[in-house]
Order: sequence, then structure tokens, then C-alpha cells
Amino acid sequence: MKLDRINIKTGIGIVSLILAFIVPVILGINQYLLTVLIITLVFIIYSSAWNLLALSGQASLGHAAFFGIGGYVSAIITNSLGLPPIVAIFVGGFFAAFIGILIGFTCIRMREWFLAMVTFGFAIIAHTITTELPWLTGGWDGIPAKRLISVTITNYIMYEYYIMLLIAVAVVVIIYQLTKSRMGLALEAIRENELEAKVMGINVTKYKLMAFAVSAFFTGIAGALEIHHFGYITPEVYGMDISFWPIIYSISGGLFTIGGPILGTIVITFIWEILRTFGLMYERFILIGVILILIVIFLPRGLVSIPEKIKRSHP
Amino acid sequence: MDLSVLLQILVWGLYAGCIYILLAIGLNLIFGVMKVVNFAHGELLMLGAYAAFWIYTLSGINPYLIIALAMILLGIIGVFIERLCFRPIMGTGKLNEIFLSLGLIYLFQNLAALLWTTGSRSIHSPYSDVSVSIGSIRLPLDYIIIIVFTILFLIAFQLFMKRTTLGRAMRATSQNREAAALMGIHVERMDMLSFALGSALAAAAGSLWLISGQIANPYMGSIPAIKAFAVIIIGGLGSIPGAIVAGLTLGIAENVLPLFIQSFVGLFGVSMSFTAWKDTIAFFILIIVLVIRPTGIFGEKGE
Repeated sequence: MKLDRINIKTGIGIVSLILAFIVPVILGINQYLLTVLIITLVFIIYSSAWNLLALSGQASLGHAAFFGIGGYVSAIITNSLGLPPIVAIFVGGFFAAFIGILIGFTCIRMREWFLAMVTFGFAIIAHTITTELPWLTGGWDGIPAKRLISVTITNYIMYEYYIMLLIAVAVVVIIYQLTKSRMGLALEAIRENELEAKVMGINVTKYKLMAFAVSAFFTGIAGALEIHHFGYITPEVYGMDISFWPIIYSISGGLFTIGGPILGTIVITFIWEILRTFGLMYERFILIGVILILIVIFLPRGLVSIPEKIKRSHP
Repeated sequence: MDLSVLLQILVWGLYAGCIYILLAIGLNLIFGVMKVVNFAHGELLMLGAYAAFWIYTLSGINPYLIIALAMILLGIIGVFIERLCFRPIMGTGKLNEIFLSLGLIYLFQNLAALLWTTGSRSIHSPYSDVSVSIGSIRLPLDYIIIIVFTILFLIAFQLFMKRTTLGRAMRATSQNREAAALMGIHVERMDMLSFALGSALAAAAGSLWLISGQIANPYMGSIPAIKAFAVIIIGGLGSIPGAIVAGLTLGIAENVLPLFIQSFVGLFGVSMSFTAWKDTIAFFILIIVLVIRPTGIFGEKGE
């Protein structure tokens, strides 16, 4: 029985992976569609990274800080040192991880609400520092960033899509392995009861910092990927909605699971893009807010828990 | 630095502090009774400001009289939020409260943008040209009225909490929910009341903010709300005197510190303006306090 369920899960995973790989083949090189898919992949990385930190019970409301730092560092070093973007994104990720450890140090002793406020504050601080250092960051106007694949290459968008897909798959696999490792178990134990975890001999500080570092690293990479896709970066990457998107995606998909952030990102992006075709603007955000409230109240374990719910009501 | 300039800024800080205090007291009350932190509190301030704006625009009566109406209106909205959103998730974990508040923030901000556009709204206070001179400094009358109003609100609130049966029941609920329920207090009604009162105080803050010449837009709530959180974190969750001290300190510090830093770096021949760092300074203070004392300065151990 248990084996069956695991098999179904791997089956769904493999099928969706194959689908993701052949989408450009089936639907052709559609600029709009591939752009949407690329952004979806970026946010799958981002949400999965946020979810990893949430696994330790630390819900950050300011992950845009890492997203933006990764993007800015990557953009600045590609512009000044001439590094190719594909290398620079990792430098951006490492820098974000470094900042993540620093922020983690201030946060590890805090309870949920305080941590939420302080991380939110760090995003605002990052925003102010960026706008106040125009010689480095271009101030409010931002700076250009090299494209991941040069636009002069034919079908560049397709290559970009496949690079993003490979990175996203790698990140999800790494995060999956981490959650199954000692670290993942330790993080869950810390979330359930920090004191008990400590008593059991888990080094709470070390694992919380590790969660911060890994989460910030992948978030930085996601940020760098996004700006190398768009070709520019402005302080808007520190916006409140950039911090909130991974939360919305993770919750609607299913917190603390691997599939949750992926499913949530895909479903919400799909709804979002459908609403866009109707030309709705504020209504979209209102709907997202309502969806979030309804999911927290009626489906606290997210969309991934629906099959289980159905099974339980029809045994 | 000129002394009169400093005094002027001090009054400005005092006035900003009053808004933070009103917000923080409401948050504190809700937290005390329900043990819930409403991150969408700033959106209640925004709705309060819009309520005041529309009542004023449609009726044209003295804006200071409108505050009471805006408070009642927001009190009703607060009851709905409590019943529909927070009650179903009570006791399911603190992360859920944070996430639910995010949903409320999205909902209210964009509803306001949809209904009333993102354009800035303002009210022309009848006293906006009047100012009181004390020595060399000139204080706008509106600031003084706001400071007086805040003091009156605080006294009324304190009297309500200490002298009335309802206030006592609310304090009992916040001290020990189970015991209060056993004593025959309808604790769920206390939840509703605390949310209504907290929302009404946010509406008072919002309408005072608007009347004093600030502009209203759908996104105006986030920054004051964050400051109010800083205030209750610094002052300690559940502590009203702490909130007053921290609110005034924050209001003054964030207005005076940029000037101090500016004149300090001026000593080294660097001329740089730090007014853009105002909000950042509030957060630095918050973070430093929390690093030293994760439960806040006046906060009790644990929560």
C-alpha cells in the first residue's frame, strides 16, 4: 500500500518532468508561453528554497532581500568582470548565502512573529541600501544585466528555458535530498519543538543557520536567473510582493512538502495568467488574497493534500 | 545644529509617535486577548483613513468629529475579520496567522485600489493654517490636537480596561483564558470585542494621520504598521506603558537620528542626506533590541 503511493508519486514526478521537457517541442517556440514557463521555473526554485527555511519553523517575510542581492551581485560582476551569467549566478547565490548567515545569526533566537517582522525589515533595509548607493547599483533606475543566452542566437528563448529547467530540477532534487537527510529531520524536529530537539542533542543553532544559508543560496540563484532573463534589475526586486509570492505558492501547494511549492507555483501562475487575459489588475491580487485566506482556513496542508482528503471521505 | 530646528523635529517625532502608539495599543490588545498577531493591522489604518476621507467629502463637517464615525465603522469591519478569518484558525499554529494576515493585506490593499484608485487623497483641515508659537518654534495646531487626542484616547482606554466590567473581563481573558471561561466570561465575545476595539484604534490613527495633512493611498498602511510592530516588540508584547515609551522613543529617534548622523559625517567633510534612511533606522533599532533581548525590553519571559 505504502509502496503503491510512493510509486504513484514518482510516476507523477516523471510524467511532469517529461512534459516539461517536450513542451517547447509540442507547442513550438512560443515567446510568450516560454517566458511564462521560465518565470514559473524561477519561482519554483524560489518557493522551494523558501519552503526549506519554513521547514525549520522560520517563516521569512523578507526573502526578496536574498532574491535581490543574488540578482544585483550577479548583474554587477557580469558587467564589471565580464563573467558569463551562468557562472555569475552562483557567485550571486553564494553572496546571498553569506548575507543569509548574517541575518540568520540575528534571527535564530526569535519566535515566529518577531522573525517575520525582522526578515521583513531586512528586505526594506536592502532596498534602502540599494537605492542609496547609485554608483554601484544605479539607484532607482537599476542597471542592465547580460542575458543568460544572447538574444542574437536564434531560438535563444528555448535554450534559456532548458537551462532554467535543468537548474530547477537540480535544485529540487538537492532540496529533496536535504529534507531526507539528517538536516531535514533535524529541521522538522526543531519546528515541532525546539526545546525537545535541543534535549535530543540536535545542534539547533547550526541547523537553523544551515537552513538560512541553503535557502538564501538558492533564492539568490533564482533572483540572478530572473534578472538575467529580463536583462535588467531595479530596486523593485525588493518589493513586498516578491517576498510574498513564494509564501503564497508554498501554502497553496502544501507547506513542508517537496511537491507543494512546485504545484502551487504552477497552479497559481496558471490562474494568474488566465486572469491577465481578461485584463484584470487589482482583481487578480484580490483573488490571490482570497485564495490564500481560504486555503489557510479550509485546506491548511495545501493542494497536495486533496487526494488524501478525498480518499478519507470515500474509503 | 540649530536648537529650534531640533525642537521642531522633536515635536514631529512626538506626533509620529502618537500614531504608532494608537496602532500598537490596538495590536497589543488583540494579542493580549486572542494571542494572535494581526499583520494586516496597517490595512485597518488605511481603511480608517479612507472612511474618514469619504465621510468628510460627502458631509463636509469638521474632520475631527468624523473620527468617531470612522472608528465605529472600522470596529464593525474588525468584528467581521475576527469572526470570518481569525476565529476558524485559532490554535492551529502561529505560522497560519501570519499567512492569513498576508491574504488580508492583499485583499484590502487591492480592494481599496480597485474601488478608490491608487491616487492620493487628502483632507484640508480647518486649522491647517493655524500654528502656535512657543518662543522661537512654531507648532501647527493640528499636531497639538493630535497629541491631545492621543492622550485622551489613552486615558479613556485605560479607564475602560480598569474600571468597567467589560474591560476587567477582557483583562481576565488575556491573563488566563481557561480560568476566565470557567468564571463565566464569554471569551469568544471578548475576542470579538478586542478585535473591534483594536480596529477602532487603528481607524483613529488613520483618520488623525489624514487630518493632519498626510495623504491617504491604498498602500499607506504597511510602513506605520511595521513601526507599530517595532513598538510592541521593543516595548514588550502586552505591555501598554512599554508601548507608550517605545512609541515616543521610536517616533523621536527616527526623526532626530538622520540629522545627527548627517551632522556627524559632516564633521568629516562628507555632505550626505540621511532622511531616506528613516524607515531603515527604525528597523536597525528593532533588530538591535531583538538581538540583545529576543523577547523585547519590557517583555515577559516566553509568551
